[in-house]
Amino acid sequence: MKVDRRSFLGLGLGAVAGIAVSPVGLKLTDDSSIWTQNWPWTPVPADGEVIYESSVCSLCPGSCGISVRKIENRPVKIEGRENYPVNNGGACLHGIAGLQYLYDPARVKTPLKKNGDKFEEISWDDAIALVAGKLADLRKSGSPEKFAAILDKEQGSVSGLFKRLFKTFGSPNFYTMPSFESYLEATAAAIHGEGKTIGFDLENADFVLSFGAGIIEGWGSPVNCFQANASRKERRAKLYQIEPNLSNTAANADKWVPIKPGTQADLALGICAVILKNNLFDSNATMNFKGGFNKFAAMLQKDYTPSKTAEITGVKAADIEKIAGLFAKAKKPVAVFGKGRGDGAQSLKELAAVHTLNCLVGNINKKGGVFVKSKNKYLEFPDESMDSIADAGFAKPKAGRYMNQLVEKINSSSKSVVEALFVYNANPCYSLHDTKSVKQALGKIPFIVSFSSFLDETAKEADIILPSHTFIERIEDVPSGAGLAKTVVGLTKPVASPVFNTKNPGDTVILIAKALKGSIAQSFEWESYNECLEGVTARIWDSLSEDGYAVISKGAPIEPAAVNLSFLSGNPPTVQAQGDFGLTLIPIDNMRLINAGAYVSPFAIKTVSDKVLKGKNIVVEINPLTAKGLKNGGFAIITTPIGTARVVVNFNEGLMPGVIGMVEGLGHTFENKYVSNKGVNVNDLIGPVIESGSGLDAAFGIKAKISKA
Amino acid sequence: MSEIENKAENGSMESAGECTAGDTKDDKGLGLGVIFFIVAFVVCFLSGTLLFPKLLYSKKEQPFNFDHALHVSEAGDCETCHSLRDDGTFAGIPKLETCLDCHSEDVLGDSKDEAVFVEKYVSKEKEVPWYIYSRQPDSVFFSHAAHIDGAGMDCVTCHGPIGKSTSLKPYEENRITGYSRDIWGKNIFGIKKHSWDRMKMDDCAECHKKETGFKGYCFQCHK
Amino acid sequence: MKQENNKEHKFGMVIDLDKCTGCGSCMVSCMSENNVPFKEDESNKKDSITWMRVYKLTNGKSFPDTETAYLPRPCMHCAGKGGHGHSPCVSVCPATATEYGHDTGIVSQIYTRCFGCRYCMGACPYHARYFNWWDPKWPEGMENYLSPNVSPRMRGVVEKCSFCYHRYQAARDKAYHEGRNDIEENEFQTACTTACPAGAIVFGDLNNPAHKVHQIVKPDPHPDKWNRHVVGKSRNPKVFRLLERLGTNPKIYYLSEREWIRRKGDNYLDGEWDKIKNHHGSSSHG
Repeated sequence: MKVDRRSFLGLGLGAVAGIAVSPVGLKLTDDSSIWTQNWPWTPVPADGEVIYESSVCSLCPGSCGISVRKIENRPVKIEGRENYPVNNGGACLHGIAGLQYLYDPARVKTPLKKNGDKFEEISWDDAIALVAGKLADLRKSGSPEKFAAILDKEQGSVSGLFKRLFKTFGSPNFYTMPSFESYLEATAAAIHGEGKTIGFDLENADFVLSFGAGIIEGWGSPVNCFQANASRKERRAKLYQIEPNLSNTAANADKWVPIKPGTQADLALGICAVILKNNLFDSNATMNFKGGFNKFAAMLQKDYTPSKTAEITGVKAADIEKIAGLFAKAKKPVAVFGKGRGDGAQSLKELAAVHTLNCLVGNINKKGGVFVKSKNKYLEFPDESMDSIADAGFAKPKAGRYMNQLVEKINSSSKSVVEALFVYNANPCYSLHDTKSVKQALGKIPFIVSFSSFLDETAKEADIILPSHTFIERIEDVPSGAGLAKTVVGLTKPVASPVFNTKNPGDTVILIAKALKGSIAQSFEWESYNECLEGVTARIWDSLSEDGYAVISKGAPIEPAAVNLSFLSGNPPTVQAQGDFGLTLIPIDNMRLINAGAYVSPFAIKTVSDKVLKGKNIVVEINPLTAKGLKNGGFAIITTPIGTARVVVNFNEGLMPGVIGMVEGLGHTFENKYVSNKGVNVNDLIGPVIESGSGLDAAFGIKAKISKA
Repeated sequence: MSEIENKAENGSMESAGECTAGDTKDDKGLGLGVIFFIVAFVVCFLSGTLLFPKLLYSKKEQPFNFDHALHVSEAGDCETCHSLRDDGTFAGIPKLETCLDCHSEDVLGDSKDEAVFVEKYVSKEKEVPWYIYSRQPDSVFFSHAAHIDGAGMDCVTCHGPIGKSTSLKPYEENRITGYSRDIWGKNIFGIKKHSWDRMKMDDCAECHKKETGFKGYCFQCHK
Repeated sequence: MKQENNKEHKFGMVIDLDKCTGCGSCMVSCMSENNVPFKEDESNKKDSITWMRVYKLTNGKSFPDTETAYLPRPCMHCAGKGGHGHSPCVSVCPATATEYGHDTGIVSQIYTRCFGCRYCMGACPYHARYFNWWDPKWPEGMENYLSPNVSPRMRGVVEKCSFCYHRYQAARDKAYHEGRNDIEENEFQTACTTACPAGAIVFGDLNNPAHKVHQIVKPDPHPDKWNRHVVGKSRNPKVFRLLERLGTNPKIYYLSEREWIRRKGDNYLDGEWDKIKNHHGSSSHG
């Protein structure tokens, strides 16, 4: 027997045949195909029992009820809560994307202390001791009033605790950011007297005359407004939208009335004049007007004839007369104010002028009209104990009436006006006009404590960050407001356990107060915020804890509302845009972006059109008639008296000639690659213009020029 | 390649030239080749059939042994522990909470497995990390309700007579896919004798075709 | 053996474009429901995965006669020519990774079976299909919100709207468990439908006259007399489908009072619209 090559060939062939006939080939093919379909880096979400928990969203003042779907203990989806009295099952994109905030890359994971330019981690005990130490020193130095706070709102028990801390500390310098609710209260105060607020019964109105209110752009309580707007079709109700740009609301309205930016007040007064001239007003209502109704009427007939109004506003005189007729003759007309979302700069003249239309047609406190309500007072805090320092300090005047005046005061005085600042749920370095001067003012404050959940623009300026739970992780009472006709208090519940080393801001305030000892600590004798919440909401706690909400009022208020026109009868001057360039830059609100309070989530920014944000560039809108020398889709430079920006231009026929529209809510500058460093913050380009008489920042825009880049 | 071809050609020409003298030599060579072929074939076939599965699967022991037969006789049928939730979803392997309906920190029986269970899991309130023989890829959707409530099937059809077993077999994990050997089936050729021997897509489709006349479309079984 | 419910459904949607506000809730609800990932820059809409996408329409007129509207676009779940399940994407798939479900009318798919040739994307006239150019990545910890009802996709596969099929499965599970043969209208609603704050989306079974979607659409039981490939045409003159004349037979219908919007539903030659608009809807059947 000779072993030759041919035998080896047999060996090889046999091996191949043996393997081929064995299951190896088939099995390996099958297994490897399964392997390629199950990459280890593709996550496999854990399965389990589905449960739903109800809570309330507090991302915006809308206060919608939400239902959180959980798998075992893990929240996976937020949806609107069925039958909730505010939003009845609906939800907006920001609320639905709410879970993304839990794991946001910019979250503050543990208390931080600034050392030089960097933040260092610090324990809660050390952080509280440090804050209390600084505050005690300030108090000892005899100027407790140099302790200031900036919050998003006045309502709710957490704000209540902050206010209580400031009062017992001895400082009157408690500020809130401009919000729609604050404008409603200012309007009510100017016309109906202090302590009141306003709600619009949009779901029952049959003619809505909107002076730029972005009813489907996030104005008021957004989901409620969406629903009221959608039901217009079935109810055969009309919506007339008056604003310089074809917003979504204008596009959805029965009629869009383009108007020169910043002249809404004049148009409202012009319509008032027609209603008075043609005797279309409700004489039963006007009988009880105070503050010079005749003087007001005379002023209108002199300054706001249709032709004069047409010249100011750019709306034809015939249209003004027609709108006045339609409005006054409607069964349930409502005039609504608050440009865009209603939380940006507003002029009191405009707010009051628009609201006067409601007063003239007598729809106050009637179904389908405007409800003038007492401010929601469901909280009952026990009396504070005040020592002499507190009494003396608290009695001193505030450094400024509104936020922008505080900023101006700090920047213009050489002495320190504010020695210590608390910032909670507010991002003034991003959302106030002229952010540069806001940052400059904050830079002059030696000690800033932020309670932010995220390392946003303002938190970055802080010396200490005491991070708060997000709304998904905490308990809190959330009162509705923002122009909702009914008044509902909802309960936000911790539907997820805290992801990071954060606290409920209520607990943090209580801890600081206790560490300050003395009469301050005596005013904070709760063991925890939970205990405090249950105590101060005792009247409605059963309903809050069982149903998740309490309805405080619904339907029209019974008591009549006094009307006083003295603010308007002197015809205060209409605010003008700053600067003398040829064009006007106006901010545009977009439902898919957020410009105050929270910032946008990765999901929400994903939905933003490429006609708004393209790569890292913001896209501005301009009428082709105005865009001489510019290319559609090309780069341009916008210059305003306070800044310049490189932008992409989009020709849009839906914008009045002479106007440049820039979206609000872009241009963030913090560590979150999904939403930051994209586009320009419009507040970097617009400066505040203070309205005489009200003290409000009423800059509706700014003069600008645009040139090819 | 060409060298081999050349050799083969040369060889055939040689044999054609010396057809009478070279007969025996060539026969022997071929015979040896055949033997080599057969040996190699058998060795490779057997290793592919017997050794390959040993290499392909790693054996893992369950945390402790579980006597299904005993539990069935004590507690009732499968659905006592492997239940459908109220919303119709299948709860799968019971959680500790379900076990605690009967068990407590006091050991009920006298098996050492129960002692392990109580000591390591019950007293520490820890879920038992069972290996699941029937675990499917994430892309698979399976409705127990449709099969049990809708089609009136029993558990045995797909899962086999597990209820009669007194001990848990070792969990054999496919080193490539990460899934249990039970999905492909014990038989490495994929041949099945019982309906419960395999849990591949074709097996689902086969039964669907037989019972409903249609093998189903993507989303019926995929998510 | 109890038969599984084999009543033939034809799930579809009608979207009221006069109610749609373009708010984007449907898009986010869809992404959150279906584990759709996101990346740093999503402004290139060609590679931005949005099963539901809201397009902005404009009438093209100059100031101040400009009008705009929004059009949400999920997968159309085309029934194909003559409504026989020959959907454009299904018929070109070489992997049988996508199929037409004859009992639901839903175009389904197996992500793991797809090998990424993207023929279906080329075949779809509605740009409803998206390709995963990258593996999905979530910021640290964010995978924790992923839902187990929809498997996350990997790089190299195509995905699209599923009409929230998992919600259908969940509704059926519940029905089976409660011994019912069929599901109720409100038991199966897609995530976009329930999220829409304006109530612009109506979803249901086009075959079921009790369902709201059927009542609004009033689908024609007979093929269109001008084009035999077109079936299920709406008998409501305000209702239209996108590129209806192609015969893809989408199950997404749109409703609008505004003629210029309805005209946007297809590319009409000069003078063609005036003929079509009269043939459209109820007049075509009477």
